[in-house]
Amino acid sequence: MFTRGSLLYIGQRLILILFTAVAVSSIVFLGIHRLPGNALLNERHPDPAAQAELLHYYHLDLPLAQQYFLFVGGVFHGDLGESLVNRSVQITPLLLREARVSAEVGGAAIVFTIGIGIVLGVIAAVRQNTWVDYVATTTSVIGYSMPNFVVASLLFLFFGIYFYKWTGGTIYYNSGWTGSWGTLDQIVVPGFALGFPYASIVARLTRASMLEVIRQDYVRTARAKGLTDRIVIIRHALRNALIPVVTILGPLVIGIVTGSVVIENIFGIPGLGKEFATSILQRDYNIVIGLFTFYAIIIAAANLLVDLLYTVIDPRIRY
Amino acid sequence: MSDLFVGKLRALRPLAVIGAIGVVVAACGNGTSTTPSASLAADQTLRFPSDSDIGTLDPAQINAETDVELYQNLFDGLLKFDDTLKVIPDIATALPTISADGMTYTFKLNANAKFWNGHAVKASDFIYSFSRSAAEGGNAYGSNFDHVVGYDVVSKTKDWAHNQTMLSGMSAPDDHTLQIKLISPWYVFSTELALASAAQVIDPTVVNTDDANWWSKPATAVGTGPYKMVSYIPKQSAAFDAVPNWWGSPQPTVQHVKIDFIADMSQGVVKYEQGGYDLIGYGGMGSDTPTADIIRIQADPTLSKQLKFVNKVRTIWVQYAFGPPPSGSGRAQSVFAGDLESGPAHDLRLAFSLAIDRTQMVNVACANGITCSAATGGLITKGLRGYVGDNSDPLAKFDLTQAKALLKSGDPTGSKTKNLTYYYDPNKAIYKATAENVASQWQTNLGIHVNLQPIDHAAFIKNYTAHNYVLFREGWQADYDHPQDWFDNLFIKGGGSNGGDYTDPKVEALVKKADAEPLDAAIADYNAASKQMMTDAAYAPLAYFKGEFMFKPYLIHAGSNNFNDFYWNEMQIGSH
Repeated sequence: MFTRGSLLYIGQRLILILFTAVAVSSIVFLGIHRLPGNALLNERHPDPAAQAELLHYYHLDLPLAQQYFLFVGGVFHGDLGESLVNRSVQITPLLLREARVSAEVGGAAIVFTIGIGIVLGVIAAVRQNTWVDYVATTTSVIGYSMPNFVVASLLFLFFGIYFYKWTGGTIYYNSGWTGSWGTLDQIVVPGFALGFPYASIVARLTRASMLEVIRQDYVRTARAKGLTDRIVIIRHALRNALIPVVTILGPLVIGIVTGSVVIENIFGIPGLGKEFATSILQRDYNIVIGLFTFYAIIIAAANLLVDLLYTVIDPRIRY
Repeated sequence: MSDLFVGKLRALRPLAVIGAIGVVVAACGNGTSTTPSASLAADQTLRFPSDSDIGTLDPAQINAETDVELYQNLFDGLLKFDDTLKVIPDIATALPTISADGMTYTFKLNANAKFWNGHAVKASDFIYSFSRSAAEGGNAYGSNFDHVVGYDVVSKTKDWAHNQTMLSGMSAPDDHTLQIKLISPWYVFSTELALASAAQVIDPTVVNTDDANWWSKPATAVGTGPYKMVSYIPKQSAAFDAVPNWWGSPQPTVQHVKIDFIADMSQGVVKYEQGGYDLIGYGGMGSDTPTADIIRIQADPTLSKQLKFVNKVRTIWVQYAFGPPPSGSGRAQSVFAGDLESGPAHDLRLAFSLAIDRTQMVNVACANGITCSAATGGLITKGLRGYVGDNSDPLAKFDLTQAKALLKSGDPTGSKTKNLTYYYDPNKAIYKATAENVASQWQTNLGIHVNLQPIDHAAFIKNYTAHNYVLFREGWQADYDHPQDWFDNLFIKGGGSNGGDYTDPKVEALVKKADAEPLDAAIADYNAASKQMMTDAAYAPLAYFKGEFMFKPYLIHAGSNNFNDFYWNEMQIGSH
């Protein structure tokens, strides 16, 4: 599957990801240490000696350069340090667990994005200028126009409060995760809220791309051969129509990752997005730095994955 | 409203007592904890949300209210507060015997007291625990032992975990007798010992295995309380189970307590409405329910009956700078400094306070008084010892005529009040709302434009304790029900949180005298100090906080006093 060239390309990109992570964490590290105040301050004025001891415990009393080298050393060993606010909480395992939660919700969002988007796009293209097309296009425009936090708040309101008795609680967001994995009723609503706006983008793109492809000669030929519409659309048209869609998958994944910051906070999902907001508000520097590093790696890796997907969808592309 | 609520809950006490007797009888019979009776739910699992994860459950480090609310169910001290905030014995069999000179406290310990791992509690465990808090707890409540002989040495010990120095003023004549010697009479000491923070006992054999992290793991989070941690997933959830054959009483009826750490309390309220939670507000969440939710619930005939308000122990006020600018701070000289009892600066301070219509402020900033009430009885919050009385604070009056006259006398040319800035931290909605309302009232009522400067909470705290502001939001959440907690921290020269650098020799003398007196005798002196501060127009009072709680009707003896949630082991879940 992978040629020597593509393996070389992957290797180069992995090295680049490593440097990106170090660069991002360094910028955040230096930037955040310029901010006034820290997580250890409170209204009850601390004893200076105890404060000094705490600073020492977290190496915050060392010169910045020394702190930085300790931090980078930790990063290379996979150790992002300890939370300043929640004492004894090690950051690396915490973020790994939260990444799993976010991946679950993000995965659901991607399923919605691709599933709904492609289906809507294909139907709209195949039934161009019929009521089906108008409904699909209007739905896309609505989704495209509404930010995910509006969708999330509406779903939360409708399924959590107004329709709760009517639906018998079968569709709602059930807050409070007790394990590493959420249940279906915990994922569906936030996953939809996160994925719906992007699904609309995919739908519009798929429709435009399909309209172009189904007018191509090879599609006409396939039809002339007597193939059914379903086979023509799915086997011949859709695959080529998906190439532009895959192109925007990279930015979409980034959008879903960053969108999770809002969605996870609205729904109280204990993932990276919620951690991102709370750690910044609590000035938990160590977690903030760790999170930025994590996000940098995730986004860079997602981009690499999408680049590799090109070669699967379009065999003409080689690295 | 809170008194009424507490009163109602007190009325339920006979039920709790009957339940407790049942528990004792059951425990005597089979040696295990109680089996719920027919009127109680078969599933005695209490579920509630929190929007704040556990910071620490280590007595040497514990500081936050959210942590203390859990901690008080897992650990015991010599003394504790009952639901009416009265100091009562905990592991001690009675209140301490205090020597005639007020400097030696002797406690007899309950011989049955044990940690949930089976280790018996010995007097030496208290010496270890208190010494450790004194050494490692300077950032939290370790300084509560600063009157114990030997504190100076222990608190300066570096790396105490590996260099364990004990408080020399503590001794254990036998395993069940503890003696504590003080450097001077300190009648706050019993109150400080009852506070769920630095004065709870821990098991040295467990803590010494991992001094930094022992509390965070169910296997090593060993306490003497009625509950123990069985699961803790940081930032996600925590679960606690009743300790079988717990040594104390009442024996816990609620067998499991499950807490979800959620993003904000709106989610918790929705799940509560759906039956997923039994209550809202426990775990220090009493002030975190969004006002929009409270207003919505108040309009619901069923839910509104489950909504309760309790006065909480936090007051906020406008503080003026009394001291000179710190060197290198760049701060201007304070136009409010000096003239303690009379004079232009005094008149200016008083004008600023009398120009605030607190009824309007509470209506606007606290959703018609839902989340706070006007602070009209001094800075010590209503419900606490040292509260001066409703409408007793002349600084809380709205008197526009007098305010304008005072402004003329305090700033005849208007030059002093140009370019004033009010600093506040917008992290709590109420701080922002009160800042905006007060500034708007100064503009409307006095014609003074005050710039508003929001500062992030951490930076704000750092700056105001460094005396870097001339005019700013100040506040205090009581640590325990004793006026000393307010005066020594806030209004005495050098007080760690005296952000205004306020000092008045009359107040200093009164507080010094009161601090050395038994509480009953001290109250008059603390009140006199409060009144002197009113005479000085030392502050402009704003608001007392309220806590909002929701309890399902089937909960028995669930509630909160001014400080804390009621203990979990006093609660029962009725059949529903």
